[in-house]
Order: sequence, then C-alpha cells, then structure tokens
Amino acid sequence: MNVEIDNSVVEKDKNKRKVVHGLIYAFLIILALIYLLPLLWVLLTSLKDDAILMTSPWAFPEHLMFENYSYAWTMGHLGTATLNSFIVCVTTLLVSMIVGSMAAFAIAKLRWKFSKLTLTYFMIGMMIPIHCVLIPLFIQFSSWKLTNSLVGLIIPYVTFSLPITIYIMVGFFESIPNELFEAAVIDGCSVPRMFVHVALPMARTGFMVTGLMSFVSNWNELLLAMVFISKEEVKTLPVSLTKFVGPYHTNYTQMFAAIVIAVIPTIIVYCIFANQIVEGLTAGAVKG
Amino acid sequence: MDKLLRKKSNIILFLAPAFILFTVVLFFPICKAFYYSLCNYKTNYPIEFAGVDNYVKLFTKDETMKTALKNSIFFMIFSCVTQLLFGLVLAALLTNIKKGRNLFKNIYYLPCVLSSAALGLLWMFVFTPTLGINKMMESLGIIENYADGPQWLFNTDGFIILPIIVISFVALWQYVGQSMMLYMAQISGISSDIYEAAAIDGCTSTQAFFQITLPLIKPMVATAMSLNAIGSLKFFDLVYNMIPEGFLGNRAHVLATHLYDQAFKFNKLGYGCAIGVVLLIMCLIVTFLINKFVKVESYE
Repeated sequence: MNVEIDNSVVEKDKNKRKVVHGLIYAFLIILALIYLLPLLWVLLTSLKDDAILMTSPWAFPEHLMFENYSYAWTMGHLGTATLNSFIVCVTTLLVSMIVGSMAAFAIAKLRWKFSKLTLTYFMIGMMIPIHCVLIPLFIQFSSWKLTNSLVGLIIPYVTFSLPITIYIMVGFFESIPNELFEAAVIDGCSVPRMFVHVALPMARTGFMVTGLMSFVSNWNELLLAMVFISKEEVKTLPVSLTKFVGPYHTNYTQMFAAIVIAVIPTIIVYCIFANQIVEGLTAGAVKG
Repeated sequence: MDKLLRKKSNIILFLAPAFILFTVVLFFPICKAFYYSLCNYKTNYPIEFAGVDNYVKLFTKDETMKTALKNSIFFMIFSCVTQLLFGLVLAALLTNIKKGRNLFKNIYYLPCVLSSAALGLLWMFVFTPTLGINKMMESLGIIENYADGPQWLFNTDGFIILPIIVISFVALWQYVGQSMMLYMAQISGISSDIYEAAAIDGCTSTQAFFQITLPLIKPMVATAMSLNAIGSLKFFDLVYNMIPEGFLGNRAHVLATHLYDQAFKFNKLGYGCAIGVVLLIMCLIVTFLINKFVKVESYE
C-alpha cells in the first residue's frame, strides 16, 4: 500500500465528501418534511374554525378551537370508539400473548414428533389474506350471534395475531439453554410452573415486540371491523372514521380533529417504543 | 426430565387453545370460502351448488372485475418497483450517515404504524381542490384558480385513472419505510471486512454499493418485494377512505373493495368468496414467482 499520500488529494477528497454529505442531509431533511408536514397540517387545522379554513387553509389558526375535539369526541362518537378500540386491542394483546407463547413453548421446548409440522401449520396463517376468510367468518359469527360485539372482534384478532406471535416466541424460547429447564425439573418443578417461572421471564423482550405489533396492527384494522360491526356503541376507531368520508360532511375542522384523535395513541406508543416496534416488525416481515 | 417434557397431557394443554382457535377461525373458513365460491349464495337465500358459475361470470361478464384487476395489478407493479428503488436509496443513504440516522429512520417509518383509515382521510383533504394542494398552488401563483388545477381524486380519464395513481403515491409514502427498514437490517448484517478489503483494492463507495451491497441483499429484495406485492393486492383502507362512495362509479375499484361491495352491499356472498379465492391465488402465484426469479442462493 502506498504510505505517502499527496496532501492535496486528501484535502480534495475531504471536500468532496463534505459536499456529498451535505447533499444527502438536504435530501433526507426535505423528505422528513414531506413526512411530517401533512401531520402538522392536520394538527393545526384541527384547531381552526371552518370559515378560516376555507379562506386560508395553510395559515396558522388565530384562536384555538378546542370545541372541534369535544364535538368529534361526543357527536362523532369517537369517545366510545376510542374506548372500544382500547378494550379490543388490550384484550387481544393479552390473550394472544398467553395463547401464542403457550403454543410456542410446546413447539420449542416440549418433545414430540409433530412440532415442526405444527409450526408450519401456524405459519400458513401469515400467507392468508384476511379478505379470503372474511365472508365465511362473518356467516359463522352471525349464526353464533357474535357480530356487533367486541368479543366477536377479539376472537379473529387474536387468531390473526397468533402466527407472528408464535413465530417470534419460538425463536426466543429456543434461545433459552435447556440446562435451565433441566435444573428446574430436578428441583421438582412441573411443566406449567416451569413455563411461568423459567420460560416467561426469560422471554420478556419477545413479549414486548409481539405485544406492540399486535397492538398497532389491531388498532388500525378496518375491513374486518367494518364488516362485523354496524352498531354505533361497539364501533372501533377506524370504523368510526369512515363515516367522515365523503362530501356530505361540512364541518371539515371536526374531521381533522377526528384524524388527530385516531392517530395520537399510536404516535405516543411509537415515540416511546419506536426501536422495539421497528425491530419486531422487521423480524416478523422477514418471515412473512 | 425427558419423560416430563414428552408427557402428552402437557403438550395438549399448551397447544390446544392456539390450535383450536386457529383451526376454527382460520382453517375452516378458508375451506368454506372455497366451497361458497362454487355456490350461488345470497344473504337470506338457501345455498345452491353452482359449480364454476361464479368464476365464469367473474372473468367474462363482470366489467367492474376487469377494472379492479387492472387497478390492483397496477398497484402491485407500481409498489414493487418504486418501493424497491426508494427503499434501497433510503437504506443506502441512511447507512452512510452517522448523525441522526435513528431519527430519520423513525420518521420515515412512522406512517407504517398509523391507521391507513386516518391517513386516507388526511390525504383526501390534501387533494381536495378547495383545501389542499390546489389552494396552495393558487396562493403561489402557479394556477389562477384552485378549480383550474388537476382534479386529483375525481379525474376519470385514461387507462389508469388519476385517483389511482395518486393513491399509489400515498401508499408509497406510507409504506416505503418498511422496505427501507428491511434493507437496512440486511445491510447492517454485512461484515465491514468486505468493505475494507474492497477499499484497499481501490473500490469507491458507489462501486461498493453496486458490487457488494446489492448482490448481498438480494434475498431481502425477494422478501420485501413479495410483502409489497401481497400488501398492494390486499389494498383496501386507503382506497375506501380516499374516494367517496359512488363518486367515480366503478372506475376506482380494487379487488378488496369489489369483494366488499359484492358481498356486503349486494349480498352476493358466494360471488364475494370467488373474488376472495382469486385474490388468495394471485397472492400465492406472485409470492412464488418473485421467490423463484429474484431469490438466489445466499452468499455467506
């Protein structure tokens, strides 16, 4: 390798590098604005009154109209919808984590012939679009009187969260050394106790990742909820939002408030757990 | 030890809940969907077996299905190509900077976790002439009056109508973060030794990108592409929320909205199932093709 390097070449190279870096940053910042400005616009507009919105839609609000929010919250039934979404998502999250991690434990750590085959069976679920099962599921659930109830939403949501939960949790359980379980058995521990006291605490990160993913995807799910739910009292947030679509609504600013209400919870969750969410979704997607 | 872990009762106890749920809520309905798709089945009418009637009707008589297929396939090709390009460019740029990498990454990924229903509404407003882009163009003096600007969501001219193109850009905006993330994960897994060795041999960073990075992330290209393809075939929320019902007639339908309309507006459940089956088969074919042609044996 050439040890003596001409100083001017190094200098030139450095300058070139600086320019390239500057250009990269400029591009990234412009792109970031394209991502953030629409969201900011919604936030600002949601605090305006309608007359000002029509004359100057891109200006700052003169006085803040928090009434838009209270209107959307009560008259737009978004309050009920938010509560419903919370109930559905939290229940789904808990149930799918318990059921999914139990199955994952059986697949990863219990010893039986068909564990690989069973894993494949669950993985099929990741390839199937929800649209395909929508109609038969709807017919089935109406005959069981489960449509228009939150339970009727939670059951399919749990099921659709299972494949990814099982996939990720199997990975986590497999990484726990067998010696730990052997020690537990020698101490006279039964398998369910072993699961609760040895396996679960070791897989905390896995729970974090799967929990966040299931929360985010169920919070945003529209199609199934729209088909299953028609009563106002049990609608979830995305469903309640759809009735704002179309030109028949004249109170634009309240719709903007509705949008803010719908995205704020996920934005907060995202700000706190961004790295875990990203990691989990990537891990899940890779399998998909 | 071994005996305890082999005990049948334990296995059944741990597996049963997931297995039963999965079978009842996913596996049986899939089988039923295939069966219903072969039946003449309308709400409140008895089921009649009709053979392949639904499929024949779907592909020969149904004009809306043609539009839906056309639009869905357009979405698919558009998203595969653009997401591949932009996702790669973003991933390459972000891995090359140090300051603020996480911040930018998290910003670009943000829309992926937000509700498409809400974002659809947001962009509908942006493209509404009286409010959004047209008004902005008016105040900047690009057009004289907001009504003269393009009718982003209402123009029905052309083979692929403007609203569909607009929606596909919105989808790109929303989901490109995911492709970026996948590529970044793969790039960060490449050992830096390879780059150092290449640099010693006089390889520039552009060359390194094309000669080292691209070939090494090819398996991920297949994964990301099939995700995009399936995602865009399943497209529903954005289309449903950005185009008010009945505004463009049938011209803005995609497979999912067509399925929804047929099954739950016109109560043709069997017919809807046939669309669902077509959708499923398309997803499987596309995944198969992409994995066959893009995926190569991994290098490491």
